[in-house]
Amino acid sequence: MADSIKDKIKYGLLKGIDVSGFKVLDPPVRLAFGEEPRKQVGDIAKYMILPILFVLACLGIWTVMGPNHKTKSGEVPTPAKVWTAYEDNARFDERQQEKAADFIVEGAEREAVLTATTEELARLEAEAATLAEASDAVAATAKEETEALLAPLRARLDALKAEHEAAEDRREAEMNALAAEIVAGQAQPSALVDLVRENEILEDEANDAEDVIETQIKDILSDPPAEVKAAQMAANRVADEVQHYKKRIDILTKENRNVKEAEYLAKAEEDRAQLVAAEDPKKAVREAKSIARNAERAEDSKTQTYPRTATIFWQTKRSLATVFVGFGLAAALAIPLGIMCGLNRIFMACLTPIISIFRPVSPVVWLLIFQIIIGAFFPDPEKHPLFVTLNDEKWFGWIGNPLAFLQTNPAMIFSACTVAMCALWPALVNTALGVSSIDKDHMNVAKVLRLGFWSRLFKIIIPSSLPLVFAGLRISLGVGWMVLIAAEALSSSDGLGKFVWDEYQNGSSQSFANIILACFVVGIIGFFLDRIMIFLQRLVSFDDGSATA
Amino acid sequence: MSLQVYEPMPGKLSSRFVEIYSLVKEYPNPYGDDFRVVEHFNLNIRQGEFISLIGHSGCGKSTVLTMLAGLNEISDGGIIVGNREISGPGPDRSVVFQSPCLMPWLTAFGNVMLGVKSVYPHADKATRKQIVEHSLSVVGLADSMKKYPRELSGGMQQRVGIARAIALQPKVLLLDEPFGRLDSLTRMELQDVILDILAKEKLTAMIVTHDVDEAVFMADRCVMMSNGPKATCSEILEIDFPRPRDREEVFNDPTFFHYREHLLAFLEQRSHIKGETRTYNGNNFIGYLDKNQIADLSQRVHVA
Ligand SMILES: Nc1ncnc2c1ncn2[C@@H]1O[C@H](COP(=O)(O)OP(=O)(O)OP(=O)(O)O)[C@@H](O)[C@H]1O
Ligand SMILES: [Mg+2]
Repeated sequence: MADSIKDKIKYGLLKGIDVSGFKVLDPPVRLAFGEEPRKQVGDIAKYMILPILFVLACLGIWTVMGPNHKTKSGEVPTPAKVWTAYEDNARFDERQQEKAADFIVEGAEREAVLTATTEELARLEAEAATLAEASDAVAATAKEETEALLAPLRARLDALKAEHEAAEDRREAEMNALAAEIVAGQAQPSALVDLVRENEILEDEANDAEDVIETQIKDILSDPPAEVKAAQMAANRVADEVQHYKKRIDILTKENRNVKEAEYLAKAEEDRAQLVAAEDPKKAVREAKSIARNAERAEDSKTQTYPRTATIFWQTKRSLATVFVGFGLAAALAIPLGIMCGLNRIFMACLTPIISIFRPVSPVVWLLIFQIIIGAFFPDPEKHPLFVTLNDEKWFGWIGNPLAFLQTNPAMIFSACTVAMCALWPALVNTALGVSSIDKDHMNVAKVLRLGFWSRLFKIIIPSSLPLVFAGLRISLGVGWMVLIAAEALSSSDGLGKFVWDEYQNGSSQSFANIILACFVVGIIGFFLDRIMIFLQRLVSFDDGSATA
Repeated sequence: MSLQVYEPMPGKLSSRFVEIYSLVKEYPNPYGDDFRVVEHFNLNIRQGEFISLIGHSGCGKSTVLTMLAGLNEISDGGIIVGNREISGPGPDRSVVFQSPCLMPWLTAFGNVMLGVKSVYPHADKATRKQIVEHSLSVVGLADSMKKYPRELSGGMQQRVGIARAIALQPKVLLLDEPFGRLDSLTRMELQDVILDILAKEKLTAMIVTHDVDEAVFMADRCVMMSNGPKATCSEILEIDFPRPRDREEVFNDPTFFHYREHLLAFLEQRSHIKGETRTYNGNNFIGYLDKNQIADLSQRVHVA
């Protein structure tokens, strides 16, 4: 009895693994249930441990090779630096959230948060001070060492310069003397030309010699020792944190929407008192207007939210939303068109030239075309009802608008359209193939059963072509995700693509690491999207009468 | 046990319920003359009669059957079913295919319901359900209605195929090697299922088979097709065992072996002979012939 329950759990797990497509997890589960341990251990070694070791080896090579390649944006960041970049981005996102929370917190809670924040700020300031001191100390010792290193170089440089100057003076005198002789007709003019040439060569040589030493000095100065950098980084990090806490206190005490509301209400109250006390009718009107204005402002500030800056997480969400909009559009077009193509050869013949010509067109071209076309629909996007509704915080009453955070704009729409345009083809072609290659026997059954067009379509044709349709959709989603990142980079539509582009453009010390981080985020999300599609594909597929549905 | 005497159907049952006359099937051949698979095929079938169709592989048995089903276009000649010339599939004829051809995304119940819905568009839900449940229980699947094809054995899948065909309540049941892929025990079970149904519902039926025993045991008349191309209905053997038939008794009857030998000898020796259809029965069947007899027979047939 216990055995059968165990078996049930085991086969349930195995089936889940099979359906989700994570075949690697199969041996560990079997091992856990004690099935052929020897074989499972072998499989784990072969299909889990070896791949993990291989990946680790790749990371190792990266760690070693990365710093050796110096680029304009600094050396290639190591995996550790990329991880730091991730943590920094996570912290940045957290800060945004803290600020957003501070902005809306009210009453006693706000007081509590304020006290906690102030305490934390004091602690951080102390820490920042010690760290700054430590950093300075390290820098000072490092400077002494550098100076010690530099002193002989500088001395040599000075000596060299003096020497060269003397030599130059000498040559100058020589030339002047020769010139005087030529003027007096005692020498050949060509001798002077030779002398000038020689002088130039010597001067160049002298400059080169000086340059070598100067570059050495510059290199030493521009590349402070690692411990100085580390100390500075640590200090900067805490200093950053201090800045953040100062800003938080600022928000908690001044910008907080409830504080603002109270402020406006107080003002209105004041005005009311003055209105009551007013003797001059003009003043009374002014006060009444002021009351109205302040009351309105108080009302407005009640629902305000903190304007958040884009973080990589938000960009990711927006990219995902965009890709699904584009993918949905593609599917909504491709599936019906594909079914029609599969059903009707004339329709297929009509669409074939269009498919053949447009399929190879680069996403970049589509992006530009859509940018122009869609741009024309929204001359004033800020006020266009579509975006106003989509971005309206209060769309669903008290629940709020779950889409508002996306900040939909025309750029998002034409990115989505580009995705749709490029993702359309695989789904279309596969659907057409699935429908046209439907089992002849099934069609015969349909004829014998005298099914009408619609029941033939929905009961036989569509179900039997679903596996191929989903295979096409899977390719489409993959293509769409790839295209989207490029489209966002090019069109500055918020999303991971824009994140990468911005990082490339702004060139801070962490940009390169951020770009590599984005590369991994894109890759991992792409992987999961593909997994989801595989899962759906398996749900609808049935091989020789053995459906997994 | 006294065997029930097989009575021909009562008079009102048509004696020419299905009439196949000078049927021709041609496939277009882009590189020459059209490919004539079947030619001069004539056959009348009584209502309630069970015909078995045998012949060499590729001679055109399925072609004839699918034309009768309306799945395959008729090139020339025609087929009349119940006083009406057919042109395409109709509710009066249903087919059991060699492979069960079930929709893998539907349960056994759903597969049978598929046709019921379109044949009884005006029946209410409960009636339809009743029809489906009845046909599934006739084939012995009352307990497996909610199962998907993948959960059913080959034999059970074919039972669903049969249930689907009879749920349409046809007048003619067409079977194209329905048991070809089944083991002999399952095959026997299903033969009995079909015979039961036919007896109960008084259906007219035609079965294509490669199994000589099956052809003799199940049918009232066994139609032998000559080799293709231009295959015709070459010989007809009338089998007159009483119904309902008991397998053991039939198999132990000495005539069974003569019938059987007649068919085997046809397949081996006489299937190339074309011409007028020759009818045999328990009184004049023939077995293996020697060379001269065959030559003589083929000459006679061709002269005639
Ligand atoms: N679509 C087609 N185009 C051309 N020739 C065809 C076509 N379909 C069938 N044929 C030919 O018709 C002939 C008869 O085929 P059919 O399927 O009726 O044979 P069969 O007697 O049922 O054979 P089997 O016993 O193997 O099922 C075959 O020779 C085949 O090559
Ligand atoms: Mg056949």
